[in-house]
Amino acid sequence: MIEIRGIRKSYGGVEVLRGINLTISSGEILALIGRSGCGKTTLLRCINFLEEYDAGEIMLDGELLWYRQQANGPRQRASEKELARQRQRMGVVFQQYNLFPHMTALENVCLGPRFGQKVRAEEAERRGRELLSRVGLSERLDAFPAQLSGGQQQRVAIARALAMKPQVLLLDEITSALDPELVAEVEDVIRDLTTENIAMVLVTHAMSFAREIAHRIAFVSDGQIAEIGRPEEILDRPRDPGLKEFLRRIR
Amino acid sequence: MEMTSSDVWVMAHAAQISLALALCSIAFGTILAVLLTPLAFARLAIARFAYRLYVFVVRGTPVLLLALLTFYALASYWGRISPYAAGVVVLTIYLSALFAEIFRGGVLAIPNPLWDSSKSLGLSRRSIFWRVVTPLVARYSLPPYLNVCVMAVKASSVLSIISVWELTFASREIIERTLDVYRVLAVASVFYFIMCFAIDRVGRWMEGRLAAKGFAGEPA
Repeated sequence: MIEIRGIRKSYGGVEVLRGINLTISSGEILALIGRSGCGKTTLLRCINFLEEYDAGEIMLDGELLWYRQQANGPRQRASEKELARQRQRMGVVFQQYNLFPHMTALENVCLGPRFGQKVRAEEAERRGRELLSRVGLSERLDAFPAQLSGGQQQRVAIARALAMKPQVLLLDEITSALDPELVAEVEDVIRDLTTENIAMVLVTHAMSFAREIAHRIAFVSDGQIAEIGRPEEILDRPRDPGLKEFLRRIR
Repeated sequence: MEMTSSDVWVMAHAAQISLALALCSIAFGTILAVLLTPLAFARLAIARFAYRLYVFVVRGTPVLLLALLTFYALASYWGRISPYAAGVVVLTIYLSALFAEIFRGGVLAIPNPLWDSSKSLGLSRRSIFWRVVTPLVARYSLPPYLNVCVMAVKASSVLSIISVWELTFASREIIERTLDVYRVLAVASVFYFIMCFAIDRVGRWMEGRLAAKGFAGEPA
């Protein structure tokens, strides 16, 4: 469903993504692991075009995303309107939750549907209430982010991403900023989503969680996918020397 | 000769004019600043340059000079003009530059991650502007904005130079008649204090209201 071909990206002369190729099928859960600075978060951000990439292409269901291909000319950035429409097919959850501090939990969740997808106010609110109760926050609809714990904020952020009814969910180290005792409540929410047929790409350091929910794990090293395979292959029978080293360090 | 209670009434009336001038200029200055601020973030370099030039010139000129300049410039163009209208124009120009810089600071204070989440939700530029940027900038900008509003009341005294009859002008008239310098100036400063204090109270109340709506100072 998602096809990533030859993505390259450099920051000031340093190439952080050096030709990434990946195919993610619909409903598949893919975990990206790797040392910090290996490019996994950059890759995730490129998929949502929060980061522009220098070369390569990303297709979603056969539609070229973010750029328009000129007939034998250079590629051209899609219009803002196009970008917004394409982004609505994906949901992103960030490490630092990134909720809007001036809006209640419910308002945060309703914002995308209401003003991105132009859903009617009542419909957006109904969807918002449903999602917040699904992530266990039906009691905190009117709470502001500052009044919620980290775990609760992250669950609101997940509900906010789901409110767009995305085909793809991009999760960027969503439990890394949480106190250990709050990690489980967020992981439970994600576990609950695995039956939904939403493709997920998660950047994570939580190996046991990745092993449990991911269909495949990709080890990113030096801006390339060094090894990719089923969780038990990657975590128990690694072949790439860099991956072996990485796994030894984190254990 | 001592100033009389009727002099105090005259000064109270003049204070109202000062306040009216300040409030009008604050209103127009805010509108102008809201239109100016986006230029600071425009894609077009010429727009950003125009913004910086405007702020640089207006902020770098003493209000007194700005007042004389505007008054004579307007007068030479239109012939006789009301000094009150000219006064509002002067203060509007002056305040718009200060407000625009405050709003620009407010936009810069929006944490990058919030731009990311706005974009990732597929919001249009217009929705991002109205739903995210405006409410946040309003909150970040309020304290320095009020600071400038208080300054506006005091800056209105400069308009006496272009014969705007306001509190400072009226005070000078009474001093010239009565020579009761200290008492007149004391009364004038009490009036200025009351006006500034009132603006401060209204501002605090607004800050309180916005804070009650869940803004804990530290965003995201």
